[in-house]
Amino acid sequence: MAAVSLSKSERAYIQSSLKAHPPLRADGRGLLDFRTVLLETGVAPLANGSARLNIGKMAREGGGGTEVVAAVKLEVEDVETGDGVDGGRVVCSVTCSPAAYSHLSSNALDELQHDLSVILQQTIAHPTLHPTLHPKNLTIIPRKKAWLLNLDAVVLADAGNVVDALFMAARAALWDAKVPRTRAVQYRAPETLKSPRNDAPGAMDVDEGTSGFDTRDMARTAADFELPDYWDEGEVLDGRDKWPICVTLNLLPSVHLLDATLAEEASIPLRLHLMFSFAPSAPPILQSMRLLGPAELELKDLKDSIAVGERYAKELFTALESKLREEDNRRNIKARDRFALMR
Amino acid sequence: MAQSNFDRRRINGPEESFLPIFDSDEEEETRWKPGNPRIGRGARDIRPIFLKAGLINQANGSAYIETEKTKIACAVYGPRQSKSTTYNEKGRLNVEVKFAPFSCTRRRVPIRDAEDRSVAVQIQQALVPAVRLELLPKSTIDIFITIIENDGMEGCIASGSVAASAALADAGIEMLGLVASCSAAVVGKEIWLDPTEEEGKVSSGTLILAGMPALETITSVWQSGSMTPTDAIKCMEACQERYMDIHAVAAQALLQNAQNT
Repeated sequence: MAAVSLSKSERAYIQSSLKAHPPLRADGRGLLDFRTVLLETGVAPLANGSARLNIGKMAREGGGGTEVVAAVKLEVEDVETGDGVDGGRVVCSVTCSPAAYSHLSSNALDELQHDLSVILQQTIAHPTLHPTLHPKNLTIIPRKKAWLLNLDAVVLADAGNVVDALFMAARAALWDAKVPRTRAVQYRAPETLKSPRNDAPGAMDVDEGTSGFDTRDMARTAADFELPDYWDEGEVLDGRDKWPICVTLNLLPSVHLLDATLAEEASIPLRLHLMFSFAPSAPPILQSMRLLGPAELELKDLKDSIAVGERYAKELFTALESKLREEDNRRNIKARDRFALMR
Repeated sequence: MAQSNFDRRRINGPEESFLPIFDSDEEEETRWKPGNPRIGRGARDIRPIFLKAGLINQANGSAYIETEKTKIACAVYGPRQSKSTTYNEKGRLNVEVKFAPFSCTRRRVPIRDAEDRSVAVQIQQALVPAVRLELLPKSTIDIFITIIENDGMEGCIASGSVAASAALADAGIEMLGLVASCSAAVVGKEIWLDPTEEEGKVSSGTLILAGMPALETITSVWQSGSMTPTDAIKCMEACQERYMDIHAVAAQALLQNAQNT
């Protein structure tokens, strides 16, 4: 993924400065320091949830850094006749903007997009039966209609560490995602309001004799659903504290680095991607692990890397979580207060 | 007019097809339930491997591997001249994987699709650190893997890596060591090695480890699904123990092939 082509002496220079005592990086950071991460949620008003993340933007120059925009869009799928799965399904895709990778041919760009999509898809929407990450509120009508959650990420600029950026943006977009409330499953209209709504197409035939609290018949006979409130964004997507984040460790035989720039990525052959998920009441879970690069590693170094990576991931997770809560606060509560003041 | 998926060059079957409905499913009793031990093998047993090198004469090197229901043929062409005009100081290793249309339960399209590529990427990652590409400037080594029958994706990738490594050795390409690869799955609280497709479906996470037993190093790790870091480490240790045996099988097959020619 490196745009830079480095000469051998440059590569050797970077490697020897990283192994020196004290280790030196080109921008003066410590080995474990991340560049500034800027995050904003709610950037795509038409999407059900979105986020924009930038790692390493230079404050004075107003540009640069690795920039990723992720958005969640929900579509309705038919379980019986379409591709839908009962319980909903999640599909992730990554697009790399040609502006970010101007040095790659369109075939190489397609392959890069596909590889990044596979990493995201297999971690977030792993196709096994075990649905630890699968959100529970993606069903509309059980066994008939379900939501398809499309998570699309676009890489607008790449200045190194693109996989970490993708996972952070994906987590932020999923945190921000809201599922519209649908009537057949969750909301039951009170008896008095039933007649005006019944002439809507596809409205449900509700038996007169059943009790208002008995929703079993409704779920069985309902073939369609309605949005009770068109303007309501809906409820928050379930499982928001379980989405994983990624920590990429660039491994040299004696040291490891976090958040490498393009030049550092080109000089360090081996990369380990660790995706951890920290649910609040459960021990940390390794959702995915990838070793990439034309170099090899011993098992004990791998074990140490996993242990150390877990600690870094936990710090990253805590920082991201506090920022996401702050974003929620800014967009909902503070905005409401400001609006109330203006009225 | 026909919808999409209409292939003009082939005789197309009906657009929609449905499985017949059977009265009783006899497999229900023998199906695995959580808490039961593994059916058919021990938890740490891998399926027996049949590996033979040198079956495809046209290629520089080839190997065929069979582990119960997984059958993979691998051919290596190279080192041959790179098609690109830019100077490459190190050789390039190009892996292409193709699932035969009849290899899986649902028919796969005859053209290369996305899943083929992700398998190819994993096999390439397993092999690249082992091949001495710096001795082959301006050259490309092409590895073509055909999966004739597929029983478990993780098993395919692991067996594919072993077959490719044996084929590379058969082609006489210099390597740092033979690559052996093993897959593991976490099922309930146990760790099962070499899961089949059915076993992969009931597992909560899988891990594929590839490395060179001769040098005791690891070239590729690919873990997906959820498992705790301790489980992941236990899987890796179990795989590492097992791939000594796999290495012995590959070495034995190559030796037999060399003695026969």
